[in-house]
Amino acid sequence: MDELLEDDGSPRPIANELIELLHRIGLDDLRERQRVSDLDILTMGISFTVYSDGENIDRAWPFDIIPRLIDGGEWSVVERGLAQRLRALNHFIDDIYNDRRIIADDVFPADLLDESVNYRAECQGVHPKFGVWAHISGSDLVRAGDGQLYVLEDNLRVPSGVSYVLENRAVAKRAFPELFQRYRIRPVDAYTDELNRLLSSLAPDGRRDPCIAVLTPGIFNSAYFEHSFLAQRMGAELVEGQDLVVGDDDCVYMKTIQGLERVDVIYRRIDDLFLDPEAFRPDSMLGVPGLMRAWKAGNVGIANAPGAGVADDKVVYAWVPDMIRYYLGEDPLIPNVPTYRCMYEREREHVLANLGDLVLKPANESGGYGIVIGNRASADELEVAAESIRADPRNWVAQPILDLSTAPTLVEEGIEPRHLDLRPFILTGQHSYVTAGGLTRVALTKGSLVVNSSQGGGSKDTWIVDMSNHPSIHHAQTQSQTQTQMPSSTGGA
Amino acid sequence: MPLLSRVADRTYWAARYVERAEDSARVLRAYGDVLADLPTSSVRWSPLVSISGSDVRLPAVSGSDETQVAQFLIADRDHPNSIVNAIERCRENLRTCREVLPREAWHTVNDLSIYVRGAAVTSVERRRRDRFLARVIDESRRLDGVLNSTMSRDEAFEMWRLGRYIERADMTTRVLGVRAATLLALPPGATDEFAEVQWMGVLRSLSALQMYQRATNGHIEGPSVVRFLLFDHRFPRSVAGCLAEMRTSILRLPAYSTVLGAVEAADRQLRRSRPAADDGVALDAAMDAVQLALARLNDVMHEHYVVH
Repeated sequence: MDELLEDDGSPRPIANELIELLHRIGLDDLRERQRVSDLDILTMGISFTVYSDGENIDRAWPFDIIPRLIDGGEWSVVERGLAQRLRALNHFIDDIYNDRRIIADDVFPADLLDESVNYRAECQGVHPKFGVWAHISGSDLVRAGDGQLYVLEDNLRVPSGVSYVLENRAVAKRAFPELFQRYRIRPVDAYTDELNRLLSSLAPDGRRDPCIAVLTPGIFNSAYFEHSFLAQRMGAELVEGQDLVVGDDDCVYMKTIQGLERVDVIYRRIDDLFLDPEAFRPDSMLGVPGLMRAWKAGNVGIANAPGAGVADDKVVYAWVPDMIRYYLGEDPLIPNVPTYRCMYEREREHVLANLGDLVLKPANESGGYGIVIGNRASADELEVAAESIRADPRNWVAQPILDLSTAPTLVEEGIEPRHLDLRPFILTGQHSYVTAGGLTRVALTKGSLVVNSSQGGGSKDTWIVDMSNHPSIHHAQTQSQTQTQMPSSTGGA
Repeated sequence: MPLLSRVADRTYWAARYVERAEDSARVLRAYGDVLADLPTSSVRWSPLVSISGSDVRLPAVSGSDETQVAQFLIADRDHPNSIVNAIERCRENLRTCREVLPREAWHTVNDLSIYVRGAAVTSVERRRRDRFLARVIDESRRLDGVLNSTMSRDEAFEMWRLGRYIERADMTTRVLGVRAATLLALPPGATDEFAEVQWMGVLRSLSALQMYQRATNGHIEGPSVVRFLLFDHRFPRSVAGCLAEMRTSILRLPAYSTVLGAVEAADRQLRRSRPAADDGVALDAAMDAVQLALARLNDVMHEHYVVH
């Protein structure tokens, strides 16, 4: 199905004004606006980094000028659903590193943890503030042929993309000023403020006016633009590992031209294993020796907490609906994509018998690596995948092949439907906050489902539109954001 | 919040690189201008290579070496101080300290870098060169304008100024060391016919002609040009003027006494060069000594603000 158009090609009510404008201005004017937007992106220095690109390591951010619209009424449910999901996931992480009630109660299998590459034994018994571990997360949503939005995966380690949500909006405002006058579009700019507030709340008790630092692996990281962007917008320090040192008092300091200054909260954009060479990989040049010590002593807040990735695993994913029921006593507001867990014989046999109709996913790869799409793979590739599944069933899940929704996109040939997904960002602390929309990624190649910008994917601005003056749209929620209270931790915190 | 040492270092170097590009553009532009007034047979461009601080020897060519030198100074990717490389390094340094600068400053640098990358190669040719060099100078000035009008006078701002002024002082000593020394060292009478034109070129390459004329009632004469460019601290590109600006910035930074000491040392070295103002060989040596003192100042700042 298409996000903006009905099956007969007429605009959905929400897209009326947009489609009408596109018809009125015509393709040439639209291409001219696209060209101006591309130029904006170039001169504003909105870039992403690709590794093996001789002369220029940062590339202009790919942006499709036609926005993707979502109705505010639907979005309000999504917001609550995502906040709910992250509360449950945080209960789970806190439980796993402490009491393990969910295992004792036979809701979650114990042996899954032993083989999880993202489980950090060093984090056992730690009680981060508010019982929250995954403070900043990005969940990927897809709309399938039935019109329903599903959660495809949760990114709880160092999800990136939020800076492009804000920058896409800045560019879109210039491209379609007339539409911003006509539509009621929820603003996205509050994110960095909310993030700042969240990070401040993680400071050790009694630290007034805390010093916040964004820890980046450096300029060669693909998300460096974002690290710098977030530091700028929050007025935070952007630091590299070499800028920080942990003192004998187990506090973290940064090296300034006036000497050492205490750091209270670190928003780290470095993977767990590189955070602290004393605790994890001794060869890491990116991290800070002693950081784990400082964190465990409660002398510094770290977001996301080390070890949060234990719930960011394509197998653990299958249990999230159970977690929501178990920890919150609620029904999930956004469904999971049905997932077969190969560790269970019955589900595995089903997968092996239906390889051609399924997407096969290894548990711990990210960025789309190792994924086999049944109806596009050769017989040989399927046989290799089947062997891998039999050899290591814990590490594989399978899902039906989804017919991802499309939206009109400006390409060489004109305006054509292209497949897309959506990554909203969720902040979890004492309260929850969900971005109004998120990053819409679009596969620019006809028929392709690959939306990653490193592989030729583009992006769109995402408009959450409130149709209050439109009689046919039901709108129970009109708040611009969901604020749900975080109940006290169920762990031993 | 005190400035991160690494950010201080990168801000400083970003300023040095953009000043380097601007200064090279000025020198190259003025040189082309002067040469238009001289008989073509006597025209050599190679002194510009030494001014750029490079010990590279370009292969000898017959006839004019203009294109070769312009290519080297503008577009040569293997020459670390070429304009295209200096702008690129400025951008790379600023890219890692965007959070301390006004957004507009980054846009200016980014814009300039996109322009230079695209236009450098085709701007070697004389017909297009002047427009290119003018744009580099203008954008570099615009960047200072943006910072002056929108940036808080914080530590990052002072690091930026320090980078600007030390690079500028260094460039002024190089221009004087190479060009003025050559002119002064010629046997008396040898360049008489064109001496004034050439000295005007020296002044122009530091955008100093008009201010010099106002300060001296117009007559252009070697030793007085040298003294103006070294000691007239009212002129912002004179070495004394640059040192005075650096002093102002250093006093606004924490624990300044060591660094201030290094500025005073450079200033003493500068004053020692006063007698050399009318002797070409002595001037060349004196400028080398000032350059060394500036290099020491650079090292002291590095130890004091960056390494600890």
